[in-house]
Amino acid sequence: MSKSGSLYIERDSLFHGLDGSIKLLMLIAWTGFVFAFMDARVFLGMILIGLGILKLSKLPAKAIWPLFVFIFVFTLFNSVFLLLITPEYGSKLTGSYTDLISLGVYSITLETVFYCFTLSLKYIAIMPITILFLFTTHPSNFASSLNRVGVPYRIAYAVSIALRYIPDVKTEVENIINAQEARGVAFRKGDAGLGTRLKNYATVMVPLLLSSFNRIEVVSNAMDLRGFGKNKSRTWYQRKKYTGLDMSFAALSFAVLAAGIVIKLTIGAVYWYPF
Amino acid sequence: MKSVVFEDVSFQYGNLDQPTLHHIDLVIDEGEKVLITGKSGSGKSTLAHCINGLIPFTYKGEFKGRVLVNGKEPSQLSLFAMGTQVGSILQDQDCQFVGLSAGEDVAFALENDCVAPEEMQVAVDIALQQVDMLPHKNHPPQSLSGGQKQKVAIAGILAMDVPILLFDEPLANLDPASGKKAMETILDIHGKTGKTIIVIEHRIEDVLEHGFDRVVVVDDGKIVFNGTPDRLLAEDVLPGYGLRQPLYVEMLKLCGVAAREEDRISVLENTVKYKDQVLKKYMEDRFTDQRPNNRTILKLQGVSFRYFKEDPYTIEDVSFDVKEGEMLAIVGNNGAGKSTLLKAISGIAKYQNGSIYYGAENQQGEAGNESSSSPVGMQRIDTWTAKQRALAIGFVMQNPNHMITKDMIYDEVAFGLRNFGVGKEETDRRVKEALKICGLYEYRNWPVSSLSYGQKKRVTIASILSMGPKVIILDEPTAGQDYTSYREFMSYLDQIKCSGIGIILITHDMHLALEYADSGVVLSGGRVIAKDYMDRILADNWIIGKANLKHTSIERMGRLFGVEDLSSFIAYFTRRVTSKTCAETGSGKSESRQAAAEREEVSHE
Repeated sequence: MSKSGSLYIERDSLFHGLDGSIKLLMLIAWTGFVFAFMDARVFLGMILIGLGILKLSKLPAKAIWPLFVFIFVFTLFNSVFLLLITPEYGSKLTGSYTDLISLGVYSITLETVFYCFTLSLKYIAIMPITILFLFTTHPSNFASSLNRVGVPYRIAYAVSIALRYIPDVKTEVENIINAQEARGVAFRKGDAGLGTRLKNYATVMVPLLLSSFNRIEVVSNAMDLRGFGKNKSRTWYQRKKYTGLDMSFAALSFAVLAAGIVIKLTIGAVYWYPF
Repeated sequence: MKSVVFEDVSFQYGNLDQPTLHHIDLVIDEGEKVLITGKSGSGKSTLAHCINGLIPFTYKGEFKGRVLVNGKEPSQLSLFAMGTQVGSILQDQDCQFVGLSAGEDVAFALENDCVAPEEMQVAVDIALQQVDMLPHKNHPPQSLSGGQKQKVAIAGILAMDVPILLFDEPLANLDPASGKKAMETILDIHGKTGKTIIVIEHRIEDVLEHGFDRVVVVDDGKIVFNGTPDRLLAEDVLPGYGLRQPLYVEMLKLCGVAAREEDRISVLENTVKYKDQVLKKYMEDRFTDQRPNNRTILKLQGVSFRYFKEDPYTIEDVSFDVKEGEMLAIVGNNGAGKSTLLKAISGIAKYQNGSIYYGAENQQGEAGNESSSSPVGMQRIDTWTAKQRALAIGFVMQNPNHMITKDMIYDEVAFGLRNFGVGKEETDRRVKEALKICGLYEYRNWPVSSLSYGQKKRVTIASILSMGPKVIILDEPTAGQDYTSYREFMSYLDQIKCSGIGIILITHDMHLALEYADSGVVLSGGRVIAKDYMDRILADNWIIGKANLKHTSIERMGRLFGVEDLSSFIAYFTRRVTSKTCAETGSGKSESRQAAAEREEVSHE
């Protein structure tokens, strides 16, 4: 995370030039489309397209890699739990039972393993476009993008305020921890057991909450005094007019979303099992 | 046209059982520059809330009388409508900076007014230009200094084009140089636009040197003075209400000058007619400068630290000694490396180069013993962690609320000792002793929340003191305190110092450093550019310029009077104001000033 507390990485690319709301729309359409399927072929295709988009966005691999690792680990755990809890779920969908591991009544079927694989691909398929939205949308455009796709501005602005104060709160937490550490409170591995350390982190919450409440009061006064909430709508300093490119991507997104909905309604998200 | 009218206004907050304002009558004319002052809790901020509409809209309570702002009653309008009459700048620059960049923050009010983006771009540029911040338009708040954030806030108000500008403690969180610039910006705007300027502030000297039309002193919810700065200073109003006069006025009074309103002493240059009277007193002063030379307790040698390998050093090659029973001020402006140095000493930041030694130095081995790397009797503590250092070097943060985690005062002070597993009886003894030194013994069974800000500050000192450190570092110890509590607080620190503990003050308050520090270390750009007595530092134009410190009015008056030895003129003043002498501790010999003083020019550049 950068100093400003957001994930934004400045690059000169096609996608950086798009309005944030369009990228949000793309994310929604993409996600909608992905959820119309339960088909590994489609997901693989979308992952490839997604990676192509990321390539075009010129984002450094180093920055986005941790998120991929995170989602890999997440899907791995997810799959393991699925296998343990519903070892025959995939077979119920396909109607065929190919036992991989069998312990009497309890057996994990190949169909379920493949189902987990498909499900993992599904999550991973959403990754590239999410990363695109998070990393190429300037934090200043976040709130206005949300507002542009229909989120009321009072709620949308909360996102902006959060982005604004995350770094400040982070500094404050560091200060408090430093102060407590200097009085012999253990925060580091080796100084005390995990339980004690967790308890010690809880003590940090007292001063942090107190100062946060104070901060909230001042921030809301400052916003009130400058007329936040005065009108039913508000304009946005950073908001640009939609360009032709924006409109094309919007049209594309709508088309993809519509296709997804049609497929979902006609065929349904049928589990594709090759074997 | 009257900008603001108070007619017999009383106000009591809903959650308090006493009124905060009593029968206030006040008229502020259009285009006036008015300073409203008073000590903490006097009601001056409440007065401001009545002007900008936070009372009655945000802070509820019992309101009597009538307030008119530009002829309209706030209670008949809305808070939003008040926002178009009064532009408020709050004292916390971080909390009022709601945008993610300077430009956005300026645009905030315009956005809420549904101004079209194209129009907004132009208006924001114009407003930023007026406060000289246009080059920083796209910078996030994290990369702006406090002073710059404040300028952005001012630009935000200018973009709204309101007739009244209200500043609530604009100098509270700024270093003196930025504070001076902030005041200059405010006055520049007044010159250009003729708007009504109302400043709420207790740092009176810093405001009055910019020429205000009127001063209103509030005490205990009542207006106790309302008149010109000249009358205020001539009538000696401020000390009676626990407020500080400008230093040069204090000096005049000490020398027996009786000025009248017509003498117009609010302008420093007008004091030239008292030159002979002041200099006569000063020349009569016979004082041989004998300062105690105690053993060194903490020694820094060539300490350098940078946050990242590819970055330049934040502090570089910092060396100085702290002696037992010495109060040492580390001065310098924001960005000079003060807080990083503090982190290095307390072990939070692991410095890459240099060493820190701790322990009473044995001076017998000193002569000609340059080969030995470690000073005799001192321990090298570079490998000590922050926790290990805590028992040797106490660290008191600027904001007491960041340190306090317990509900009861006794527990708070005992907290550190308990963490280190000190026995119950020993803990009790040390807690009680620390509480006594800090004047909190009677309060030991009180909840912390019942204390004032200044008292909380003392609790944090006691909680550090109880751990028995030989050195205590304080970060901006008097920030946020008014003059009365500043004085009180510093007298406790003086006592602690006299018990033999070395005290390091990290501060940008030159008055504090001048009056209480035995010596000073000046940081600029991460390097030590001077180590000397504070009076000498503040008499030296080169240091002041280099470190971007603020000229004290004593020094300016000394120059006006043509005093040659400015530092002893300044020292004379300090001695008269704070007769700081520890009862002889017995140990330690005296050194001559010449030997103690050393000055290091920055080698490169």
